[in-house]
Amino acid sequence: MKLTMIFMLAALLQVSAAGYSQQINLSYTNVPLEKALNEVKKQSGYNFLYNVQMLKEAKPVNLRLKNASLIEALEQCFEGQPLTYTVNQKTVVVKRKPVAEATVAVPPTTIKGKVVDAKGEGMPGVTINLKGTTVATASAGDGSFSLQVPEGTGTLVFTFIGFQTKEVAFNGPSDLNIQLQEDNQALKEVVVVGYGQQEREDVTSAISSFKPDEQNSRPVLGPDQLIQGRMPGVNVSSGSGSPGSSTRVSIRGIGSLSASNEPLYVIDGIPVVPHNAALFNLGENMNPLSQLNPNDIESIEVLKDAASSAIYGSRATNGVIIITTKSGKQGKSNLNFDYYTGIQDVPNRHKMKMAGSDLYLEVINEGIDNYNQQFGYKLGDANYMLRKENPYPGMPDTDWFDLVTRTARTSSYNLSFSGGTEKTKVFVSGNYLDQEGTIISSEFKKYTGKVNLSHKLFNWLEVGTNSNLSYTHNSRVPGSNSGATVMARSIPQRPFDRPYKPNGEYYVGGTEDLLYHNPLHILNEEDADIENYRYLGTFFANLNLAKGLDFKTSLGLDQIYTVDKVYYNEDHPYGTGVGRLIDSRRMISNLLVENTLSYNKQFGELSFSALAGQSYQKTSNSGINIDGRGFPSTSFDVLSVAAEITEAGTSLTESALASYFGRTSFSYKDKYLLSLTFRADGSSKFAPENRFGYFPSVSAGWHISREEFFPVELMDLKLRASYGSTGNQDGISSYAYQAQMSGGRNYGYQSGIGVSTNGNRDLTWESADQFDVGVDMGFQRGKYTLTADYFVKNTNNLLYSRPTQATSGFTSITSNIGSMRNWGWEFMVGTNQAFGELTWSSDFNISFIKNKLTSLLGDEALLIGANRTLKVGEEVGSFCLYKMLGIYQTNEEIPEAFFKQGIRAGDVKYDDINNDGLINADDRQIVGTSNPNFFGGWNNTFQYKNFDLSVFLNYSQGADVYFSGRITVERLANNFFGIREEVAKERWTGPGTSNTTPRAIYGTGWNTQNSTRFLEDGSFLRLRSVILGYTLPTSFTSKIKLSRVRVYAQADNLFLWTNYSGMDPEVTSNFDPQFMGEDNLILPQLRTVNVGVNLRF
Amino acid sequence: MLRLRYTLFFASLLALPACNDQLDFYPHSSVSPNNTSEKDMDALLYGMYNSVQNSPGRESYIFYDLIGGELMNPSGGNQLAFINNFLRPEYSLIGNAWDGYYRALYQVNNVLASIAPFSDTQKKREINGTAHFFRAYLYYNLVTRWGGVPLLEQNTNEKVSRNSEEEVWNFIERELEAALPDAPDYVVNRYYYVNKDAVQALMARVKLARGKTQEAAALAEGLITSGRYKLDVFEKIFRKQQNTEVIFAFENLTEESSITLSTLFYTYSHTVKGSYVYKPTDDVMQNLFEANDKRKPISIDVVQGLNVINKYPSGQSGTDPFIVTRLAEMYLISAEAQGMAGLNRLNELRQARGLAALSPSSEESYLDAVLLERRRELLAEGFRWYDLVRTGKAVSTLGIEPHRQKLPLPESEIILNDQLEQNPNY
Repeated sequence: MKLTMIFMLAALLQVSAAGYSQQINLSYTNVPLEKALNEVKKQSGYNFLYNVQMLKEAKPVNLRLKNASLIEALEQCFEGQPLTYTVNQKTVVVKRKPVAEATVAVPPTTIKGKVVDAKGEGMPGVTINLKGTTVATASAGDGSFSLQVPEGTGTLVFTFIGFQTKEVAFNGPSDLNIQLQEDNQALKEVVVVGYGQQEREDVTSAISSFKPDEQNSRPVLGPDQLIQGRMPGVNVSSGSGSPGSSTRVSIRGIGSLSASNEPLYVIDGIPVVPHNAALFNLGENMNPLSQLNPNDIESIEVLKDAASSAIYGSRATNGVIIITTKSGKQGKSNLNFDYYTGIQDVPNRHKMKMAGSDLYLEVINEGIDNYNQQFGYKLGDANYMLRKENPYPGMPDTDWFDLVTRTARTSSYNLSFSGGTEKTKVFVSGNYLDQEGTIISSEFKKYTGKVNLSHKLFNWLEVGTNSNLSYTHNSRVPGSNSGATVMARSIPQRPFDRPYKPNGEYYVGGTEDLLYHNPLHILNEEDADIENYRYLGTFFANLNLAKGLDFKTSLGLDQIYTVDKVYYNEDHPYGTGVGRLIDSRRMISNLLVENTLSYNKQFGELSFSALAGQSYQKTSNSGINIDGRGFPSTSFDVLSVAAEITEAGTSLTESALASYFGRTSFSYKDKYLLSLTFRADGSSKFAPENRFGYFPSVSAGWHISREEFFPVELMDLKLRASYGSTGNQDGISSYAYQAQMSGGRNYGYQSGIGVSTNGNRDLTWESADQFDVGVDMGFQRGKYTLTADYFVKNTNNLLYSRPTQATSGFTSITSNIGSMRNWGWEFMVGTNQAFGELTWSSDFNISFIKNKLTSLLGDEALLIGANRTLKVGEEVGSFCLYKMLGIYQTNEEIPEAFFKQGIRAGDVKYDDINNDGLINADDRQIVGTSNPNFFGGWNNTFQYKNFDLSVFLNYSQGADVYFSGRITVERLANNFFGIREEVAKERWTGPGTSNTTPRAIYGTGWNTQNSTRFLEDGSFLRLRSVILGYTLPTSFTSKIKLSRVRVYAQADNLFLWTNYSGMDPEVTSNFDPQFMGEDNLILPQLRTVNVGVNLRF
Repeated sequence: MLRLRYTLFFASLLALPACNDQLDFYPHSSVSPNNTSEKDMDALLYGMYNSVQNSPGRESYIFYDLIGGELMNPSGGNQLAFINNFLRPEYSLIGNAWDGYYRALYQVNNVLASIAPFSDTQKKREINGTAHFFRAYLYYNLVTRWGGVPLLEQNTNEKVSRNSEEEVWNFIERELEAALPDAPDYVVNRYYYVNKDAVQALMARVKLARGKTQEAAALAEGLITSGRYKLDVFEKIFRKQQNTEVIFAFENLTEESSITLSTLFYTYSHTVKGSYVYKPTDDVMQNLFEANDKRKPISIDVVQGLNVINKYPSGQSGTDPFIVTRLAEMYLISAEAQGMAGLNRLNELRQARGLAALSPSSEESYLDAVLLERRRELLAEGFRWYDLVRTGKAVSTLGIEPHRQKLPLPESEIILNDQLEQNPNY
C-alpha cells in the first residue's frame, strides 16, 4: 500500500534518467531480474523501489556490463520486459509498462448477479458502482444486474437509500448474489418536536420538516423564505422585492384574525417575539428573521396540527415553526467555506409599460374634450378645461422606472467549523452578506457569528451554550405604503416630465411641473438606515439523575437593539428646508427560564417516555423616539445639533407568560403509538380571572404494515389521528383588558390625560380545536412515498380589533368576536429513481385548504376596509366590491338615474343589486377571495456523476389579487397621471370598441371605484429556483489539499407564468389575512443569478 | 457525587421564579380611569383641550374652504370635480372628521362625568363651563356639516340614531347658555383658553346661522364694545404675535399637535417647505383682494411662480395656532345681522384693513359686500362653504347639486350603525 503511494509520487515527479554515469560492471546469465537489480543497486548506490510480486512477472535477464552507466545497466535489465523504470534523483522506480504496450489486451470482465433484500425479494434500482471509478449500473426490475468492468479484480459497491451500503470484491467474471440489509439508522429520520426529538416513524402528528443543503438552499435572507413551496399546508408569500422585507407565512389557512396570522417561531428553543424590524414607518415592514444566518440552519420543522403544536399552548393556533441551528458532531472535524456572488434585477418590467407622450396626450385630451362636451362648457366658461400639451416638444420621454432601478449585486461569505469528541462538541460559524437592492441606494448588509458548544463534565452533567450574534444594516427606500413610494412615484409620472431642471435643480413634485414626488429627489436626499444588533441564545445544563431520567435547565435570551434613523436633509421634500432627523431606538428583551424533566423507559415491548416542564417568559419592549429639525448642513446628522426638538418620548411595555407543560408517549411493539400533551399558560395580557388557558392534545398511530395480516409486500403504512386545542394571544396589546387614561395629551405645555381605551375585561383566549387524520406510506423501500393529511380546525373566541361606530368615541375595540373553520387536504408525494448513473429524486406537494367564518358577533356582515368583508359563511379575505358588468356601449342602455349622475356611453356598468339607481355600499358583493384553491411546490434533484441539478417550482391557483395600483395608472384622464400603454390603447372610443376598458373622461371618479375591474386572477407557476452544481473529482481536490470542492450556478425566480397583469401576483401590501392580496404597485420579487463555491478543508 | 447531583437539581428547582405573581403588569404611560381624583382636574382639562384640538384632524379646519371654492388641487383641473370628489361617503376626510368630532366629544363627556362627583369649587365650575363650550363647538361643526346628528350628552356604546337638525341647534344654544356662567373670566392675552367671551362669540355665530339676527348682532356688539378687544394687524394675528383681536384660538403647539396646516399650503420649493396639497384658486389669487388690501400679503403669496395660502407660515418645521374666533368675525356678524344698519361696522373693518368705505345701494348688494368681505377676512379659516349654504348661495355660486349642501355621512359609520340614515341622494 505504502509502495503504491510512493509509485504515484514518483510518477508525479518523473524526470529523465539521462546524465547519470556511475561505473557498473556485471556479468549474469539467465538470472531473475530481482537479483540483477539488487546487484545494480549495490554498485550504483541508488535506491530501488519495486513490488516483489511484479518482478516475478519479469523474464530472466542476461547482462554483460563493463564500466557501464546506470542507464545502460537498466536498459539491459529491462529490455523486452513487461516492465519499465524511472529514475528520480537517487531512486529508481520500477513499474509496469503502459497497457498499450502490453503484448495482450485484457478483455473486459462481466460481473452479473442479483440484489435481494432481507426477505430474498429482488430489489430494483440499486446503484452498483465499481469502486474508485465511474463505472456503474442499476439493478433491473427483478433485482438482476450486469456490469462490464475493465479489469479482472476489483470491488463493487451496492447502494440504495435506506439500506446499508455493501462492498463486494470480485476476481474475474462472477455471478454475485447480494443481500442488502435495511439501514435502521438511516431510516430513522429524527424530527424535532416541541421540547425534544422524535423518530419520524414514531410521529403521530402532522409535522413537516425541511433540511437545507447545498442542493436546495436558495440565497435568501431569512429562514422563513427557505420553506416556501417545500411543505404541504404551509403558504409563504413575500411582501416585496426589497431586501429584508417581511414575509407572510400561513400554516393551514387562516388561524386567527388578529395581527398578520403569523406562526410562532421557536429558534433554538426560544419562542421569539413577532415584530417589525423597522421602527419608522417607511411604507413597508421589515422581517426580523432576516437577521439570522440561513447557512446555520440544520432543520426547520413546522408543527401543523394541534397534537404537535399544543405543547406551545397559547401561541400555537397559527402553527409553530421550530428552527434548529447546527451543532458539532462527534468524530469529524470540518472546515467549510461557502461563497456566492451574483446579480438581481426587476423581472417583468414590460408589464408596466406606460404610454409615451403622444399616446398619453391623445387620451388626456380626449378625456378633456369628452368632459367639455358632456357638460356643455365652452371656451371662456369658468369650468371649461383647456387641452394639455407637451411642455417639452421634441424631447425624448423619461423612463422614470429605469431611473430609479439598477442591476444589483450580492455576495455572501460563510465560514463554518464543526467538530467534536465524546465529551465536547462545537460548531462555530461566521457570515458576511452584502446585498444591494434593485432600487438605487437600497442595500442590506449582515454580519453573523455563532457558537454552539457543549461539554460533558461528568457522565451525568453536560453544560453548554448555543449563541447567535448578528448585526444587520439595512439602507431602506420608501415602500409601497409610503407617501413617497418609489414604485408609485416613478411609474405613474407623466411621460414627458423630467427629474432635473436645465440648471440641475430638481423638479419638485406636487406642482404643475411634476405631479408626484420626484423619486430621484426622494432617494438622493434621504438616508434611511436600520441597524439591528441581536443576541439570540441559550445556556443550559443537563443533569442525568438516574437511568432514563434527565433534568434540563436553561436560560434563554433574545435581545434585539434597533437603531432606526431617517434623515431628510435640507433639500429633501420632507426636510422642512432645514433638515429633519427622526431617531428611533428600541430594545426588545425576551427572557426565558425553562426547566424540563424527561424520562424514558422500556418495559418489555412497551416503550414509554414522559416530559414535564415549566417556563417563564418575560418580554419587555422599551423605545425612544426623537424628532428634530434644523441642521447646520447635511453633514450634521445627530440630534444634539438640531435647532429644535419637535418630538421626544420614551415608551415601555411589558408582558409575561407563565407556563406548565407535559407530554407522555407510549409505543407498543413499535406498532401502536399514543401521545398525550398538555399545556397551561397564564398571560399577563388578560384580566386575572381569565388569565389561564389550558391546551390538551391526544394523538395515536398504527403501523398497520407491521401487522402479520398486512397483505401487501414492500409497503410501509402508518395511520395516525390527532385532536387537540391551541390558543392565540398575538395581536392584542399588552394591556388590552385594562381601561386606561393615557398621559401625554398636553396643552399649552401642561400635562393632560384622556381615556385611550375602554378596556375589555371579558377578553379571553382565542382557542382552536383541531382534528387531523393522516397516513404515511412508502412503497418499494422508499422508492415512492406518500404523506396525506386531512384536517379540520375550528377557531373560537376570535380576537379581533372590531370596528365600532365612531359615536362610541372609539373606532375599534379589541373583542372576542366569533369563530371560524379551516379544513383541507394536504398531500406530499416523493420518489427516488435511478437510471444508470443518473439518479432523480422528486417531491411534489399540494394543499387544498378552505376557510369559512362560522359565527360573528351579532351575525351581521362587517364591511372592512374599502374592498373586504367579514361575513358568516364566507371566507376571511373575501373581496367585497362593486361588480363590473361591462361598459355601456350606448347612452340608450343607461338607466335614467345613472344618466342623471353623468354616466355616459363608455362608462363602466356596475351591478346595481337593489336597483335603487345608486351605486353605494349596498351594492358591494362578494366577488372573490385572496385565498388560493390550492398551492404547493415541486422539487426535482438530479445527480449524474459529479453533476447535480435541482429544479424547484412553486405554484398557487385561485387566489385573486386586487391590483389597486391600476387605479392610479388606469385613470384614463380622470386625472393627469401617466397611463398604462395597454389600457390607453384598449380604451372605449365608440360602441363595440371595448367591454372592459372605459372611455377617457376628465373629472369623474365613476370608472375607478373599487370594483371587479381591478380584481384579477393571481394564479401562477414560478420557476422558483434552478441550481446546477459540479463537484470536482477528489483526484483533483486532494492535490489542492481540499477534501471537497463544489462549484455551482443558481438562478432564482427565472420564469413566472401567470395571467396577472402586474409584475408579481405573490406580493402584498398588507399581511393581515383579511386584507391579503392587494398590489398597490409593489416592487416585485427579484430575479437572481448567482455563482458560488462550496469548499471543505 | 450523587449528593452533588441532587443538590444541583434542587437548587435549580428553588431558582424557579414564583411565576404567577409575575403576571401583573401595568402600563407605564396611563392610569385607570377609576383612579382619577380632584387633583387630576387640571390634567383632565388640558387633556380635553388636546383632544378637541387634535381629534378632528388637519383638513377639518379648512374643509369649508376646500369645498367652498377657495382652494384647489395644485396640479390644476376643474373646480367642481375637485369639490365633488370630497363629497363622497367613502372619502377618507369625511370619515376622519366624523370620527374625530365624536372622539373629541367622548373625551368632553368623560370629563363632565369624571368631575361630576367632585366637590363644587371654582376650578370645577370653570372646567364645567369649558366642557360645555367644547360640546357646543363640536356640535356646531357637526350640524353645519351633516345636519341632524346623534346627540350624546353621555357616552354610550349603543347604536344611536340621528336627532333632527333643529334639536341639534337647540342643544348647541343650551350648551352655550350652560357654559356662560361657569366659563372662566377674560384675562388679558389668555386667548388660547376658553373664557366667557369665547362662549359669547360662538353664540353670536350660532344665532346668525339660525337667522336670529337681532340676538346675533347684540352678542357681537357686546364683544366689539367691551373694550377688551381691538382689530389688530394680520402680521400679529397670523404670525403668532401678541394681539388684541383673537378671542379664542387653539395654541396648537408643535409638541402637542399634528395639525400642521401650513404643510398643506406651501411647496417644497418654498423656504418653509410643505407638501403643497392645496392652492388658492385663480379667482382668489386674481380677483379677491384689492391692491391696497393690507390683508393680502399675509393671506396669499406667490413663491417661485406657485400660488400659496400664507396664513400659516411654519411650514413643515412646526405648527401654527388655529383661530376659532376673533373680533373681525364679530364685526362681520354684526354687519350682516343688522342689515344695512350695520354698514358702519363693515366700513370700520374695511378701514382697518386699508380699504375705502362702501355705500351699497340695496340690502342685496350690501349682503353681497358683507359676504365678499368675509371671504377676504376669513380666507382659509374654515368659513366659506357654510356661509354659502346658510345664505342659500351654494348651488348658484359653486354649481353643486342641491343635495351637496350637506356632507354625506361616512360610509363606514352607516355600515357599522344601521340606525343612521344617509343624507339624501348620497
